[in-house]
Amino acid sequence: MSEAHAHDALEDIVITGMGVVTPVGGDVPSFWAANLEGRSGIVREERMDTTGLPCGWTAGLIPPEVREKVAADHGAPGRSWGDTLMHAAVEEALTDARLDARPAAAGPAALVYARVWPGPTGSDPQDYITHMADLGERYDTVGDDPAAVLAHLRTRNLPLEARDLSAYPAEIAERLGTAVVPVRLEATCAGGLRALAEAARLLRSGRARYAVVSAAVSRNTPYVLSQYGQLMALSRWKGDPALSSMPFDRRRTGMVINESAGALILETAEHAAGRGVDEHHAVIGGWGLAVDTSHMTAPRVEMVERVMRTALAEAGARPEDVDVVNAHGTSTRLNDVTEARALHRVFGERMAELPVSAVKSLTGHGSAASGVVETAASALTLCRGVVPPVPTCTEPDPACDVRTSLTPVERPVAGLLKNSFGFGGQYASMFLRRPAAPRRAASLG
Amino acid sequence: MASDPTGTPSDPATASPRSDTATASPPSDIAVTGTGVISAAGLGVARLWEAMAAGKSFFELPGGDGAAPGLPWPTAVVDGTEVDWPEGRSWANAGKYANQSARWAVAAARQALARAGIPGEDEDVRGGTVMAVASSGDELSDVMPRLASKYRHDPRPLAKFLHDEVPDYSYIRGIPSQLGQFVSMASGFRGSNVAAYGETAAGGTGALALAARLIRTGELDRVLVVGVGAPLTVTGLAAVDQDEPLGTRATAGSGPFDADRSGTLAGQGAAAVLLERADKVSGPVLAWLHGCEVLAAADLATAAALAVDAVLDAPGTAPTAWWAHGAGSVALDRLEALTVLPRAGGLPVTGSKGTIGNAFECSALIDTALAVESLTRAELPPVGLLDRPDPGLGDLSPVVGRTLPLPAPATVLLTALTQGRRATAAGALVLTGAQGPTTDHGEAHR
Repeated sequence: MSEAHAHDALEDIVITGMGVVTPVGGDVPSFWAANLEGRSGIVREERMDTTGLPCGWTAGLIPPEVREKVAADHGAPGRSWGDTLMHAAVEEALTDARLDARPAAAGPAALVYARVWPGPTGSDPQDYITHMADLGERYDTVGDDPAAVLAHLRTRNLPLEARDLSAYPAEIAERLGTAVVPVRLEATCAGGLRALAEAARLLRSGRARYAVVSAAVSRNTPYVLSQYGQLMALSRWKGDPALSSMPFDRRRTGMVINESAGALILETAEHAAGRGVDEHHAVIGGWGLAVDTSHMTAPRVEMVERVMRTALAEAGARPEDVDVVNAHGTSTRLNDVTEARALHRVFGERMAELPVSAVKSLTGHGSAASGVVETAASALTLCRGVVPPVPTCTEPDPACDVRTSLTPVERPVAGLLKNSFGFGGQYASMFLRRPAAPRRAASLG
Repeated sequence: MASDPTGTPSDPATASPRSDTATASPPSDIAVTGTGVISAAGLGVARLWEAMAAGKSFFELPGGDGAAPGLPWPTAVVDGTEVDWPEGRSWANAGKYANQSARWAVAAARQALARAGIPGEDEDVRGGTVMAVASSGDELSDVMPRLASKYRHDPRPLAKFLHDEVPDYSYIRGIPSQLGQFVSMASGFRGSNVAAYGETAAGGTGALALAARLIRTGELDRVLVVGVGAPLTVTGLAAVDQDEPLGTRATAGSGPFDADRSGTLAGQGAAAVLLERADKVSGPVLAWLHGCEVLAAADLATAAALAVDAVLDAPGTAPTAWWAHGAGSVALDRLEALTVLPRAGGLPVTGSKGTIGNAFECSALIDTALAVESLTRAELPPVGLLDRPDPGLGDLSPVVGRTLPLPAPATVLLTALTQGRRATAAGALVLTGAQGPTTDHGEAHR
């Protein structure tokens, strides 16, 4: 069957819309272009004084012009920056999926989202500094007497974010013109991939007509930086900031935290066809999820291997069906070598030829958002047959021994494995297939 | 606490050995096989249920020297000294990453596991964990004001200052799914761990719905759902109060559905509910879970109506009793009654929040555990602090004063609502009593 007339199986879960806001691009086309060009979004963190921190002087920050546009187009009174980012990504994804017109209310949609709570102040470093000044003044004035503290708080408007709540599900329900099954997930840095799995599960259960998956992180405050600094998890690279996230490079010293958001529209191929949408970004084949209790932060080879094998088995795929690995690749010493060793266990001698990409080399680490954003990159890899480079891996670590490239690699990609892991023993892996009719470049965005 | 993690002598929990037994057409594909609760009434579901049945309530009154002296809101406070942390080297090592919520979560989980006869000693990759928690109740609210004051006179940059001064591991301790890792340690369930959080009181039903999907799609055979409603900080309480005033009285007539109710009463707690795939259950079945849905819409009334319709749509789910959210809020009680009554009117109604307050993220899980207990005992306990049912709530039939017998097996509709500006999620589920001969504690064997 020619590709133009091919169809995915009706029950297949397919990705039909994508949207991102990242340090390397405020939409999918610019994000993908930056990936292929190897253009970094990591800069020196100059919005706050990082003097004295043992690590973490760089960050993946959304460029000012993108930030201003997102705020202007999607900001609203009382809406947090994290929610604003998610709205921006969702809007792009809905348009891309041709779901921008309000669908008939013939049953609920699903809204599966992961928003990393930045704390009570939002995500701007200066807001946090102001918050601390206010808190210090309050303590010096009224101490910690609850009644006095309450009297002080009653003079202020406390946003929903003070309770880690928001109007996001109601706003999306309003936007879609239908009720949503709302699932807010937290699974540390595996949260994005977990959200995709949960959305696919909801669709398989028949509980939702289509699913909006979104995730956002924006937490570059002095507090978060200080805590990751305590864990010594952040990059200590002192050279060019653009090189500070270097997955699988022997000089890597830690991750670079970023602000980013991603959104994907999932539906069954049957539902998409019913809307006249036959070209898809990717087919979700299967996934593997697991929790390890042996350590709170350190990954384990056996667990990475387990979720990758489970993802393949659930998809009815074999290791030789994987043409590319989109790695978690955080640039920490331990993650990258652990992931690489697990890859060697699963793929054996094929590792010499198996391309491995690592988006975090350019964007930094977006925690739960990374799983969604990097799945968008994975889908583009499948549709375009191009593996993005890992431009910061100029001195590959022989202990990892994975095949990264400094330039884009063009090759047919029928199957791709995407990994995400996180603190708290979180492991997730997902096998994605090239759709029978891949979305064409001209129709993207 | 006693070494028996179920907590109380009157708790019907038994560490019964799990054995293979024949199965025949269970009434649902998901069984409830374990429950656990920590509340102001103490440890154990039975202790809380019996307290409700006896008409007790557990609020520390304003002006006292309890958890938050000087605040105007009565609060049902958990006595944390009863909650212990498991012994052994691995638990000692893990303890540095565990906050109070984690300790409550593990204790509630161990109750549920013991009741289901699962020792938790073996790795089970077909088992998983879903947490229902929030991330706002962490320890830093106690620490940070003092540090902020100190920082005013400190020359270090703020990031460096916090790096040096904030207690180690506090960031990790505040991660919701971190609690789930400890629950996984206790259960041996290694198949999955995720936190389904936020959305306040509908969070528990959301977590149960997620767990049910994990089972129904064949991904897992059993999921332990654990919720924690940690003590709210003064900031958290003030934020809730700004949305809709919290209750300031905890005397007769201030409970849910009362004509004189003045606002939801704050509570704390933890709960665990173990769901198992019907064809994999080998121990006692406490109840059967039918539909379980959470929906958000542009407004809360629409979401609540859709959620109730969805769970009552399934065959065999005609309820004989209603375990209501019953916030005690003037607005929410009215919304709940006027939404549910047209769909499930004429039912006896009860709720827990007049006894132990509103434990927000885990309140629906506490209510689920209590509803299961009611099914096994075939009785519905009365609504705490309810004196004069509000005539403005239509034909609502709350249980007042004494327990009400239920037919056996009964079917309970449970509802849960969010609370907060533009927070519009509502949940509902249906439970039926276990079929077949019962044990001394009301549990059916399959």
